[in-house]
Amino acid sequence: MPNPLKRPSRPGERSANGAGANGSNGASRGAQGVEAAKEGGGGLVGWVDERSGATGFLTGMMFRKVPKGTNWFYTLGSATLFAFTAQAITGVFLAMYYTPSPTEAYESITHLTNDVWMGEFVRGMHKWGATVMICLIFLHMGRTFFFGAYKYPRELNWVIGVVLLILTLVMGLTGYLLPFDQRSYWATVVANNITATGPVVGPYLADFLRAGPEVGATTIQRFYAIHMLLVPGLIAALIGAHMYLVVKLGTTAPPWLKAERPKNARKKTEVG
Amino acid sequence: MPDDGNSKQGPPEKLPKPDPAGYFEGETMTRRGVFSAGAMALGGAAGAVVLLPTIGFALAPLFEEEGDTWQKVGPVENFSEDTYTAVVITAVPGIGEAGKTTAYVRRSRGDDQSEGEDGFVAISTRCAHLGCPVRYVQAAGNFICPCHGGVYDFDGKVIGGPPVRPLDRFQTRPSDDGQVEVGPRFSVTSQLDPVRTRDPGEFTGGVWDYVYPPRPSVPPAP
Amino acid sequence: MKQSDKEQYLIEYEVLKKKGKPFFPYAVAKDSAMALVVVLVIVVMSLVLGAEQGPKVDPTTTTYVPRPEWYFFFLFELLRVIKPPELVPLATIGIPTICMVLLLLLPFYDRNPERRPQRRPIATTAGILTIIAMAYLTFLGAAAGTPTEIDLEVAAEYEPGKQVAAQSGCLACHKIGENGNDGPGPELTEIGARLPREAIARSLRNPPQGMPNFSGLPAEKFDDLTLFLASLDGE
Repeated sequence: MPNPLKRPSRPGERSANGAGANGSNGASRGAQGVEAAKEGGGGLVGWVDERSGATGFLTGMMFRKVPKGTNWFYTLGSATLFAFTAQAITGVFLAMYYTPSPTEAYESITHLTNDVWMGEFVRGMHKWGATVMICLIFLHMGRTFFFGAYKYPRELNWVIGVVLLILTLVMGLTGYLLPFDQRSYWATVVANNITATGPVVGPYLADFLRAGPEVGATTIQRFYAIHMLLVPGLIAALIGAHMYLVVKLGTTAPPWLKAERPKNARKKTEVG
Repeated sequence: MPDDGNSKQGPPEKLPKPDPAGYFEGETMTRRGVFSAGAMALGGAAGAVVLLPTIGFALAPLFEEEGDTWQKVGPVENFSEDTYTAVVITAVPGIGEAGKTTAYVRRSRGDDQSEGEDGFVAISTRCAHLGCPVRYVQAAGNFICPCHGGVYDFDGKVIGGPPVRPLDRFQTRPSDDGQVEVGPRFSVTSQLDPVRTRDPGEFTGGVWDYVYPPRPSVPPAP
Repeated sequence: MKQSDKEQYLIEYEVLKKKGKPFFPYAVAKDSAMALVVVLVIVVMSLVLGAEQGPKVDPTTTTYVPRPEWYFFFLFELLRVIKPPELVPLATIGIPTICMVLLLLLPFYDRNPERRPQRRPIATTAGILTIIAMAYLTFLGAAAGTPTEIDLEVAAEYEPGKQVAAQSGCLACHKIGENGNDGPGPELTEIGARLPREAIARSLRNPPQGMPNFSGLPAEKFDDLTLFLASLDGE
């Protein structure tokens, strides 16, 4: 199967061949990346690549240059992503034991914490993972703020980031009810009533969240659906957009490196 | 990638283009317009068919009114004029302990017009600030909220802290067999006039009736 | 930001980027190391702090003291410090909404092309002040006691009186040291230095407007209470 695929040709590909596929320039150009990968690529990788063009995209993404001087502060974003992934994984497995019902939720948490092997550990990972994720997201935002990284051309990515922060806080709030202990219950009561103080739409929004005028029979299912499906879906989609923009626009350089202005660049734009 | 950026974000001098992208010989704008509108209309219709019923489904509880539930809370002799007795009632039926709440009940004082002819006053334990559980302190004769520092006097009127209105009350009536019955919750104005049930944190009376409009899910004022 | 600033930035950025190293493996190595640190922190927290269940839901409680998760402490404290009822919608919805809108629109009103923190004094100062304010509110929120407990070091003889004061709800209207509400009643931290014990007892029996009458307390408790209050001299 793989051999005949060694040198496929596609419309428009020829012209791109000449430039050579070294990392910095070629990698970001899809066609060249594909070409470079195909030179040696056979087997399954070659087969998938011919149909998807994934290697070109991946080499472009992985071998794109990151500006000089990027430091440990630049790992906070990926660390937040990692924390989200960890939350998603532990969350999926917690859902296997959890019962979202006002009469059984507490007992199902007792069961999964005390009886299930490693139950307390996995629940602890999810619980403290939330704390860690909130810390990381604030640190990441602080880095972006103080480094001026939200400025042109990355304004849109800042806006997406703030929406992600809000959604993460919504996750914290909705997840908080699920253990259905005293802390969760009263925190939810207060949060719902805070929502209800919004003018005009507040009372209806609170009724929607509670599924009625009191925290009642289906409130917990509602929070569960929001916490499990609705908000994580939105977060995942927005993380995709956030990362697409990071790859497209590039990681910022630390602001102090701006001092070393290249001379020719200055000539080009400043009017003498 | 930045060279991409340059070409896109360059000065808008080459803006006026004669034809829309993909223009072909003989294409009329009517044709394109029809297809654009059709694409959006059909796609929109397909989306709406899925979204509208499901959103309505999720919003349904907003329009369901809770039924009146009257519960007996004990014989008339249990309650005095000078102090409150805590009774546990069911606010949301069908979910066991999680649907119960506490009310403080006392016999109304004859000289107080605002307390009605029922003969009993039942005060809700949900703080009118944001819904924390208030506690009646016998020694001080007032209700204290543990969250944000709300304080209410013996009648449930605010005497300190951030609560926006007096404590909510429950309707009361004597039953045929000499017990006190507690009914639906209602809110009161600062003069203790009954108004329709509201969530904590919402002012009552005046312009606030428009800022916090009535919800179909709760009964009107008694 | 002017067009020339935009171009200038893109050119400078391109130069810095050319001098850089590829994302993989150099940046990824740091990211992976950080990911490992993150997961280790989570695991250690999970193992050390565990995931104990709180008491089961009991909406009938009148003694439970609700507290939010720590990352909402600043909002919680905001609700505590904003006392006038007219300002409650501001504290619940207004301020958080304004903050979020300000945060969301940051790149649209901060149009200064400068990126170095030391050359953006207003932005940097505002950022640091926001962090300090949130940290301070979080700290206050975490330290907020319950209105039925007085956290104060007193001599053993005053302990019973302290309990009576706490259980009688004095803190609902008075501040004693770091405990209680600042108003509507006056602060009691130094009441013993201002009033003799007899005067305190008189006020408790014939209280001023708005204060409940405490003559209903059992005599022994009443004595403990006045003894405790008279001992408060702010030290």
